[in-house]
Amino acid sequence: MFMSTATATPTIPRLARAGKYLTFYLASEEYGVEILKVHEIIGMLPITRVPRTPTFVRGVINLRGKVIPIIDLRERFGMRQDGAEETCIIVVQVRGIQLGVVVDKVSEVLNIAEGDIEPTPSFGVEVNTEYLLGLAKSEGRVRLLLDIDRVLSASEADAVQVVPTDDARTPASA
Amino acid sequence: MPSPTLNDLAARLIATEATDADYHEILDILVALANDPALPEGVRALMGDALIQWTAAPHEARERVANDLQQIVVAAQNRLDLRDRLATMLGADEDAPIPTRSRVPTPVATVVTITAVATEVVTASGAAAALLPADADLSLLPDFIAESRELLEHAEAALLALELDPDNAEAVNTIFRAFHTIKGTSAFLSLDYVTEFAHHAETILSRVRDREIRCVGGYADLALRSCDMIRELLDATQDAVEGRGETIPTGYDELLDVVRDPETNGISERGGAASVARATAARADAGSLPDESAAPRDTLPGVGGGASVAGGHRRAGAAAEPTVRVRTERLDRLIEMVGELVIAESMISQDPIVRQGGHLDLNRKISHAEKIVRELQDLSMAMRMVPLKGPFQKVARLVRDLASRSGKRVEFVAEGEDTEIDRNMVDFLGDPLVHMVRNSVDHGIEPTDERRAAGKPEVGRVRLSAYHASGNVVVEMSDDGRGLDRDRIVRKAMQQGLIASAEGLSDKDVHDLIFAPGFSTAETVTDVSGRGVGMDVVRRNIEALRGRVEIQSRAGQGTTFIVRLPLTLAITDGMLVRVGSERYIVPTINIHLSFRPPRTALSTVAGKGETVMLRDQVMPLVRLHRVFGVQDAVEDPTAALLMVVGDGTQRTALLVDELLGQQQVVAKSLGNGIGRVSAISGGAILGDGRVGLILDVNELLTLARFGEADEHLHSIARAVA
Repeated sequence: MFMSTATATPTIPRLARAGKYLTFYLASEEYGVEILKVHEIIGMLPITRVPRTPTFVRGVINLRGKVIPIIDLRERFGMRQDGAEETCIIVVQVRGIQLGVVVDKVSEVLNIAEGDIEPTPSFGVEVNTEYLLGLAKSEGRVRLLLDIDRVLSASEADAVQVVPTDDARTPASA
Repeated sequence: MPSPTLNDLAARLIATEATDADYHEILDILVALANDPALPEGVRALMGDALIQWTAAPHEARERVANDLQQIVVAAQNRLDLRDRLATMLGADEDAPIPTRSRVPTPVATVVTITAVATEVVTASGAAAALLPADADLSLLPDFIAESRELLEHAEAALLALELDPDNAEAVNTIFRAFHTIKGTSAFLSLDYVTEFAHHAETILSRVRDREIRCVGGYADLALRSCDMIRELLDATQDAVEGRGETIPTGYDELLDVVRDPETNGISERGGAASVARATAARADAGSLPDESAAPRDTLPGVGGGASVAGGHRRAGAAAEPTVRVRTERLDRLIEMVGELVIAESMISQDPIVRQGGHLDLNRKISHAEKIVRELQDLSMAMRMVPLKGPFQKVARLVRDLASRSGKRVEFVAEGEDTEIDRNMVDFLGDPLVHMVRNSVDHGIEPTDERRAAGKPEVGRVRLSAYHASGNVVVEMSDDGRGLDRDRIVRKAMQQGLIASAEGLSDKDVHDLIFAPGFSTAETVTDVSGRGVGMDVVRRNIEALRGRVEIQSRAGQGTTFIVRLPLTLAITDGMLVRVGSERYIVPTINIHLSFRPPRTALSTVAGKGETVMLRDQVMPLVRLHRVFGVQDAVEDPTAALLMVVGDGTQRTALLVDELLGQQQVVAKSLGNGIGRVSAISGGAILGDGRVGLILDVNELLTLARFGEADEHLHSIARAVA
């Protein structure tokens, strides 16, 4: 089961799941994203809509002179848009791409041990779980650990091509 | 003197003073080495050359020549070292005895450590070849490659000048210096292929310098091909550095043979293209090289219009102002930051507190800062500007090659090559220029007898000029050939279904047809219309630079391509328009005029397609809010504004709510995260700190016209998401 570093593929080895996570809320659900991928957290800024992009692309903002796209995670996950709060933007940087993610509330930074991470159970076709690294249990709560690389690479793929490549989609080994 | 070694020579060279005793001692060593049967042929030849250099060197220049010789020695040592290793590897079954080398602890010892591994220089045997030595210093190579490319450019320009004026001593020196420097540096870096080639090319030039031969005809060809070969070697080296494999350019050995001994290979001042063609026939682009029946070398005019070319190039060799090499990435960042500064400054000066507060003193300070910022902006822009000389020289070379290939007589005149343009745009401009000059020489200029019959001067003329006009750079390429054939273009366009009939099409409309992608890329067109091969590339590249291209042509009198480009890519002159609650920036270059239409000017076609009439011209009306899905826009055109965009009869009226004003914006990409967005070319930070989107008008119009197929794709994308 151990992947040697020499054979490390662009997809993150499952063992790397343990570590520090920044957690945030989308509606009532609490998500976590690897702290190393987080560039900064900024307050809400006026977003310029970009026409003719997928609906989960909210638009672009001016981040100190740089134009970066903003992704709507709720839309991405097909969640209900119930008058969302949207208090801030988490700027993540993955493989050189900077991108903002609109969230309702940033919660805390958690240290999550490998033992606390459960593989994502299947919910059938109803729920898309491919963006999840796993479910973390701590303090009696469940946090959904995001595979932010996949969220991003998929959004990129959608913008240029319709069908995502499937080799990066092998299910997590249990 | 007991048989000296290369190391002895190296040691002497380093210690050399400009005394006569030293001079003679080195001379002796060189003679001994050049005649030493224990040394391989190539090394002996190197020593022979060194000997010539040394004896020919005037007294005061000996120190400089000694430096040059050192590099030859290093190259020779590398080769010997290589032989040693090869011999060890092959079990010493070399036919020549391996010279034993005493490793004297001289200062050279440090130099000797730069050794080549498995880099057999003479590859005729097909021995395993490697461009890069195994211990290549990868940090030095990129600089060497960049520097050498620049030198080659100068050399090529000088070569072309030399052909027109064979007595131009300065041009000879420029070329000689280029080859010489490349040879020296490559030897230092153990790039033996480059060294070897540059060495022999240099030898030819040294003969030109010594007035033994004149750099015309076959020699000129050979020198140019040598430039090409070295360039290919540099490309290959770069590939190797970047880990894309090492391939020796095809035809290397053949060309090397010719360069090494031009006369035996039939090169002379009179023509000689044939043998070069034969020698380089193995090159990838062999099909495009002249064959035995190629035009005689005198296709280029002796003097005539060439004067301007020569005039331009003569300056190229002159001492340049001191410069600093800066990584473009840093420069771009700096310019970006200055752009930010400009915006930040305008945000302050536009601030209501500043403007309405009546703070006279503050206002004075701010306008002072404003002045500095503007100057800084101008300066930073100027930093990225480079003269068009580079691309123009490439065209000069191309004209020469194309003319000799097609057996036509063409003279090339360049004007305004000092006109400056954004460095980033120069690369984009290369392709369009190539295609335009191909059209001019291949198809525009008639063969000599046809020209004679038409009562034209036998020598065709291609003129390339550049100048600044109303904030744009204009590049014009004109020929005095046969001009565009309207009937042929129309026929071809109808065949391809581009137009139904030529009725109502102005000449300009017909000429524009050659830019249609389908029209030019189809192989069957090449021999039919005579124009249009790759012309879609021209338009695409020019438009990517937010420029425009137009054609003027008169049958029998020639064709002119006029390319208008913005001065720089970094700053766009834009019109800020409002559509509903959204704002967009439309590049000013796309806008012809804007007007509020009277009700009577509006009509529809088949109840859907909207049109508007302006000064008796009917054009389609595109609602920006519909294309972009803006909800709260003004629906009634008479209450809004129409912007006329596009060119020729392709003009389209774009419906927007209102114009907010003209402003310069710093164009930025929208970030990699959302990829390419149709009809949007980028973003810009507006005065209020928000992002404004810059429209790609041409794409927008295509989208409006063929929007449905595209819309379908988007709906699929949304469904998948």
